[in-house]
Amino acid sequence: MSQFWKPTFTYLQYAQICARAVRSTLKEEARVVAIRRDEQGLKYAKWEAGKQGELKNTVGTRTTV
Amino acid sequence: RSYATEAASTGLRLTFAVPHQTLYKDVNVAQVNIAAVSGDMGILASHVPSIEQLRPGVVEVLEGAASKRFFVSGGFATMNPDSTLNINAIEAFPIEEFSSETIRNNLAEAQRVVNSGATEEEKIAAKIEVEVLEALQAAVNAK
Repeated sequence: MSQFWKPTFTYLQYAQICARAVRSTLKEEARVVAIRRDEQGLKYAKWEAGKQGELKNTVGTRTTV
Repeated sequence: RSYATEAASTGLRLTFAVPHQTLYKDVNVAQVNIAAVSGDMGILASHVPSIEQLRPGVVEVLEGAASKRFFVSGGFATMNPDSTLNINAIEAFPIEEFSSETIRNNLAEAQRVVNSGATEEEKIAAKIEVEVLEALQAAVNAK
């Protein structure tokens, strides 16, 4: 059982892919609740000269596999 | 030996949790079977302390005569010298909560991606999914 994904993914990415595969095969009710757990992201704002810039939110957007 | 006498009085104590839920908290159980990357193993009280990486597969908890099977997406099992066993997984559900049809469809889709002309990264991701779904399918059909 060699870890064929090692050159491409980190362990955490691998674990997330596995988790997504598991969540998507649940029966209807449980799946809806579980899919919501996949949403990850952060809110950030750039500060310049003591003033907060535009507040950006990445929750719900996914940039990688 | 001190470890063995401690265990004899309390048995195997299991704490099994996922980030959003605690499935078992310090519960006295008879045996736990796990699917580790290094192989399948059955853990009883006084098992040698070890840390095992779980592969996507079944964790079976035996309490007396009853056995409960969960499918975990991955995680770690830590056996401690005092006969407490900690299992941490990202996702874990009883086998009954999975839909056979969805598994079959998702597996077919993932296999299609593996053989298609997608990017290398997408193909490896699909291969991971195939591995997970095949294990899940075997677990569901074994019941």
